[in-house]
Amino acid sequence: MKKLVESSGVEVAYKEVDVVTTGTFGAMCSSGAIINLGHADPPIKIQRAWINDVEVCHPGAAVDLYIGATIMSETRPFEYGGGHVIEDLVDGKEVEVRATAYGTDCYPRTKLRTTITKDDLNQFYLLNFRNCYQRYVCATNSRDEIIYTYMGKLLPKFRNATFSGSGALNPLMNDPDYETIGIGTRIFLGGGQGYVIGEGTQHDPGNRFGTLMVRGDCKKMSSEFIHGAAFTKYGTTLYVGIGIPIPILNEGLAKKTAILDEEIVTDIVDYGIPRRERPKLGKVSYKELKSGAITIDDKKVRVSSLSSLKTARKIAEILKSWIENSSFYLSAPAESLPTDTVCKPMKQTEEMAFVNSVTHAAVTCTEDEEVKAVAERIINRSVNHVVVTDEQGKLRGIVTSWDITKAVAKGKRKLVDIIIRKVVTTKPDESLEEASRKMAQHQISALPVIDQDRKVLGIITSEDIAKLLGR
Amino acid sequence: MKNVVRILLRFSEKIVEQPITAGVILEHGVPISIVAAHVDSHGGEILAEVPSTHVEKVVDAFREKGVIVTFPKLIEVDSEKCFNCGACVSLCPVSAITFREDFSVVFDEQKCIGSPCGLCVDACPARAIRLVEQHSSGLIQ
Repeated sequence: MKKLVESSGVEVAYKEVDVVTTGTFGAMCSSGAIINLGHADPPIKIQRAWINDVEVCHPGAAVDLYIGATIMSETRPFEYGGGHVIEDLVDGKEVEVRATAYGTDCYPRTKLRTTITKDDLNQFYLLNFRNCYQRYVCATNSRDEIIYTYMGKLLPKFRNATFSGSGALNPLMNDPDYETIGIGTRIFLGGGQGYVIGEGTQHDPGNRFGTLMVRGDCKKMSSEFIHGAAFTKYGTTLYVGIGIPIPILNEGLAKKTAILDEEIVTDIVDYGIPRRERPKLGKVSYKELKSGAITIDDKKVRVSSLSSLKTARKIAEILKSWIENSSFYLSAPAESLPTDTVCKPMKQTEEMAFVNSVTHAAVTCTEDEEVKAVAERIINRSVNHVVVTDEQGKLRGIVTSWDITKAVAKGKRKLVDIIIRKVVTTKPDESLEEASRKMAQHQISALPVIDQDRKVLGIITSEDIAKLLGR
Repeated sequence: MKNVVRILLRFSEKIVEQPITAGVILEHGVPISIVAAHVDSHGGEILAEVPSTHVEKVVDAFREKGVIVTFPKLIEVDSEKCFNCGACVSLCPVSAITFREDFSVVFDEQKCIGSPCGLCVDACPARAIRLVEQHSSGLIQ
C-alpha cells in the first residue's frame, strides 16, 4: 500500500487495494487468560490457586481462574510467571494446579492438586485488557548505573536506548481514527483468530496512544505468537502477536494506511528518573528507531527494539494469506472505539515525600585539603559526611568520618588518598522511597543531592529520613 | 574468516604481577591484541587475538610462563528460544549482535568478547543467551 500510494497516488491505491494487513508482536503486560477447570468431586470453591507455582487469581464462582501474565512464580520469581504458564498451556504442555479453599456446605473440599493440559479445560481464553499500543516511547537512562525496566536493560549515561512497537505496521496507526477497528472486529490473535472487545485500559486516542482490549480462543493459538518472557529485575510478561485487517473503504483510509515510519514520531524518555512524568529528551521517528542509532545530546546512541519486527511482518503476511484463501473473514465493528477518552493520573490522598523536602546544605571540602582540616570540620559541624567539590561546586567525591578515622590511624595526611570517587547520588525530585532504597542497597547512610551538571545542591542522610518518618 | 584466533589467558595470583604478555610479544615478535581484560592483585583474565599462523608458538610460550591458556567459546545462543525481539542488540558494545535486513537477530561469535562483558545475558526476555563458563570442562580444546 505504502509503495502503491507513493507511485500511483491515493485514488489508484483505493481502487486496487481491498485490505491492508498489519501486525505487531511485543511484550503486553496487561494480558492474561481465563480458564475453567470443570468441577472436582467432591466439589471445591477455590479461594487461592497456583499453576506451576504461579498464583492465579480466582475471579469467579468456583473453578474459574485468571492467569495474569505478570504474576511471578513463587519458586522461580523473575524467571517464570503467568505468561509462561499461558505459553506452556498453549503449547500443549502439562501444568500442575494446586488450590486451597475454606469449604462450604455445597463445596466441602479444602485442598486440591492435579495436573492438566489445555484439552482438560472447558474454556481457555486470552482476555487482555490492554494490548497493541498505537505507538510507544523510546526509553533511555541518564543515571550513572544500569537500570532494569519494563523497557529492558538500560545502560548508564545514555549508552543505549530501546523502543517498542512496529511503527508503520502497527494496527491502530493504520486506522488512527478507528473507522474500521471497533468492538467485534475479527483479528489475528496469538496465531488464532480473536476479536477486539473494546478500547484497552489507559486508551488515550488524543495523544495517539490508543489501546485495545482483546479476546481469543487460546486452544487454537500457537506459542510462536504467544510467548512468556522474563525481564530481569522487572518481572514476567507475555509477548502477544496481533494482526488487524484494515478494509480500504474510502480514499481516506488508502491515504492513512500509506503511513510511513518517518511520519510516526515519539518521545525519547529518561527512565532514569522514576517519576510519573519522566523527562522528555527529544523526538524521534520510527524510521530512526529502526535504523539502529539515534541522537541524544548530539551523541550517537545505539537503539534496538524490544518487540520483534520480524514476527510483526510475519503476522501481517499470515493474515494476508488467510484472507486470500478465505479462512479469515473481515467483520464490521458493532460499535466504534471511543475517540475522546483521556488517560487520567491516579488520585492520591497521601502526599509523597521527595528528596528536596529533606535536603540540607552539605559540608564540603576540596581535594587539596589535609585530613586534619577535614577532621576538624567534621567535629565542628557534627556531621559524618563531607562532600568533595571542585571550584565550580561540582561533585568530585565524598569522605566519611570513618574514612578520616582510618586515615588518622594509618598516618595518612593527604585527603586525596582517601576520597571515595564512586559516589551514589540523588536528585531533588527523586522520591524519598527511592533514595532510601539506594542507601539500603549500597549500605550507606547519606547521598549527595546533585543537579544535571553534577553540581552539589546539598545532602540527605538516613537520619533525615528517619526523622521525617518519626514525625 | 578472520586470520586471527582468540585465546583466553588466565593468570594466577602468583604470576599476575609479572609482565608476561609483554614478554611473549617481545620474545617472539608476534603482535597480540588484547580484546578485553580483567586484572587485579588476585589474578587476571585476558582475552587476546593472535595471528592464526602463530597460535601454537604463542600458546606454548604463555603456558611455559605458567599461564592457563584456553580457546574460549564465549556465549551460547539458543536459537530455538530466541524470538528476535532485539532487546540485546543495543547493549552489545562490539556490534556482535545485529539485525539482519528482515529483522532476524544474528550473533557473530568472532566479535563477541564474552565474560568481561556479558551485558546481553540477563537482558534476554527469552533467556536464550548463556555465558559459557570458562572452566576446563566447558572448553573446546
